[in-house]
Amino acid sequence: MVDLLIIGAGPAGLAASIEAASRNLSVTIIDEFTTPGGRLLGQLHEEEKDVWWNGVEEAHTLHEKAQENGVELLLETSVYKIQQEDVYWSTHTSAGIYHSKALLIATGATEQSLPLPGWTLPGVMSIGAAQVMTNVRHVKPGEKGIIIGLNALSFAISRELRLCNIDLEGFFLPPDHFLTTDQAKPLSVLNNLMTLSHLAPMNWMRLGGKIANNNRWIQKQTLSFYPKRGINIWQTPVHVRKAVTSINGSTQVESVTVVDLRADGTMIEGSEENLEVDFVCISGGLAPLTELIGLTDLKLIAIESLGGYVPVHFEDMRTEVTDLYVAGNITGIESAKVARAQGVVAGISACIHSFNLRNDDALEIAMEKVRKERAEAKLQFHPEIEKGRTLLYSEKGEVQYG
Amino acid sequence: MTKDVIVCRCEGTTLEEIATIAAEYQCSAREVKLRTRAGMGYCGGRTCRGFIDYIVSHHSNHQELTLHHRPPVRPIPFALFREVNDE
Repeated sequence: MVDLLIIGAGPAGLAASIEAASRNLSVTIIDEFTTPGGRLLGQLHEEEKDVWWNGVEEAHTLHEKAQENGVELLLETSVYKIQQEDVYWSTHTSAGIYHSKALLIATGATEQSLPLPGWTLPGVMSIGAAQVMTNVRHVKPGEKGIIIGLNALSFAISRELRLCNIDLEGFFLPPDHFLTTDQAKPLSVLNNLMTLSHLAPMNWMRLGGKIANNNRWIQKQTLSFYPKRGINIWQTPVHVRKAVTSINGSTQVESVTVVDLRADGTMIEGSEENLEVDFVCISGGLAPLTELIGLTDLKLIAIESLGGYVPVHFEDMRTEVTDLYVAGNITGIESAKVARAQGVVAGISACIHSFNLRNDDALEIAMEKVRKERAEAKLQFHPEIEKGRTLLYSEKGEVQYG
Repeated sequence: MTKDVIVCRCEGTTLEEIATIAAEYQCSAREVKLRTRAGMGYCGGRTCRGFIDYIVSHHSNHQELTLHHRPPVRPIPFALFREVNDE
């Protein structure tokens, strides 16, 4: 029996463990992967000129601090069931059952896919898998690849692949069908790209974003004049008027078929061409990984700007279920810095609400830090994150729970 | 295209099959799952669960549309159940 059990050793889980352990709680963290850090392990991006965010270093720093504070870490261990008993939680794992007074679920996010003909062939992977192969395993995913799906995640990871000298044919849209919806429509994709216009290297978009913000006419003009060879972002051409209609190959990826689109998204007959590639990255964005929440009495609520269904929780990371806390991307898709700051809040909050630690101003300071990280985030996954958070934290009583 | 788009990778169930069954029987996601095996493969629906919910919610008038989570939420060896029962 430990005081606090944490599921997930990413930025949120590790940061929470340090806060709780340094306040004399006994803490165990469980993670499925071989190395602590979660998605930090794949991250490497330039936040401002010559200022780099190195996720591996950050993971290392957090891990060391956790160890110094006596946190126990169980790696390569999967949680398959959680259950609240009378006064404690039971966590069933591939390495046995663990008991704890309090439980923090910091399982992060899962990638969304974009199904299309041929996506089950070997050589097709999620964009995150390509990131793990390259940055964590140091394995080249292939000789030449293509990215399907235009969003913040695929842009950030494409740059990391380019830094490793991996050849990319470009970004293309998925084919337009029932499950790809807005991600396959040139106008809505362009719209979404303009909300990412604060990403430093995309000057043309920053300009375009300012002018075109919510102006449909200008957006349509931009689409009509969009260059046929695409516009390069970090040396990779971005195509908003070309879609991949199928991935081809007998036993593995050999090529993709792409087709030109009109500004309204309809296909131009006879424009099909085959591009030779040996790997394909699909990027449908991220969604909170909530399957363990589904085993509890905690309600989930759909908030689009936070990436889908999120567990109902308070700003101090408590939930309505006694001794159950959440932190990180499970509460909404945001940057690793926000996740880490939320972890600090959750760690302190657990000490106060489950172990009667005196509530000094540490909790309020930690919550203020989350707000600050959110406001200053360089990589924002949705333009209305703050609105989503406000909905969750300020008007909680009035929200229709899904 | 919909009959060439596989939704459940484990069981090879297509977008067309799921949409057709949902529309024909006007049923829940759970019933669609039992009729087509979509979401019942090795991974336990970890890739396609959201897609199945989405397709069913747009093709069926049934009230209860989403699939529930039940343990184990990860594939585990049968030996683990034995250990749990021995305790």
